[in-house]
Amino acid sequence: MPPSSGPRLSGMQKQVLNLYRGFLRAARSKSAEDRPKIESIVFVEFRHNAKQVDRKNFIYIGYLLHRGKKQLDQLKSLDTISLSSFDLGLPQTKHTKH
Amino acid sequence: MPTVSASYATFTSPLRLTFPTNQVALKASNLKMVSMGWAKNGFPSLRTSRFRVSCAAKPETVQKVCDIVRKQLALPDETQLTPDSKFSALGADSLDTVEIVMSLEEEFGISVEEESSQNITTVQEAADLIEKLVQGKPEA
Repeated sequence: MPPSSGPRLSGMQKQVLNLYRGFLRAARSKSAEDRPKIESIVFVEFRHNAKQVDRKNFIYIGYLLHRGKKQLDQLKSLDTISLSSFDLGLPQTKHTKH
Repeated sequence: MPTVSASYATFTSPLRLTFPTNQVALKASNLKMVSMGWAKNGFPSLRTSRFRVSCAAKPETVQKVCDIVRKQLALPDETQLTPDSKFSALGADSLDTVEIVMSLEEEFGISVEEESSQNITTVQEAADLIEKLVQGKPEA
């Protein structure tokens, strides 16, 4: 690959961005009604974590990536339209997990 | 030498990019040297074979890209947006850039490879890539 003219991204950052892209792609395949809902949750989740999670907290980011990938698979494979399963426990405190 | 300055002129005018003549003139007897010159100037993704395509980015494509970027970043009307505007300078982070590329994909009906999308930092780069992909797309 030629040296990038863009910002230098770490492998982990690339993974996160690829995951983000994956979610937005998956959202496209949903109905016009569900898509905005899914997208808004994805936006919020990624923004939230981008702000809240320490960029050096690789273990936690790795966990989020792993979890995100599984959720993405679910979103893709099922005709998932329900978002309740997708309403994630946000990092620490914010949400109670069920 | 005349050949070199000719190609220099051809490449420079549509792209508004300049590189020092002496750098090219030194030993640039073929186009490969020119493309090396580009690499040194920070346009590594452009190779000789892509010059033609890159130059061809139509004004309406650039305009469309500008509109999408403006919408995506919710830029106020008074913000200057030129083809050379860097997304990061407009306040976009990497997530925004992904969103921009996704919107562009939908708008133009193309699919941008992950690797290329990470190299897009300006409107011009986006427009060039789109032109390339739209041309490569089989007529549906």
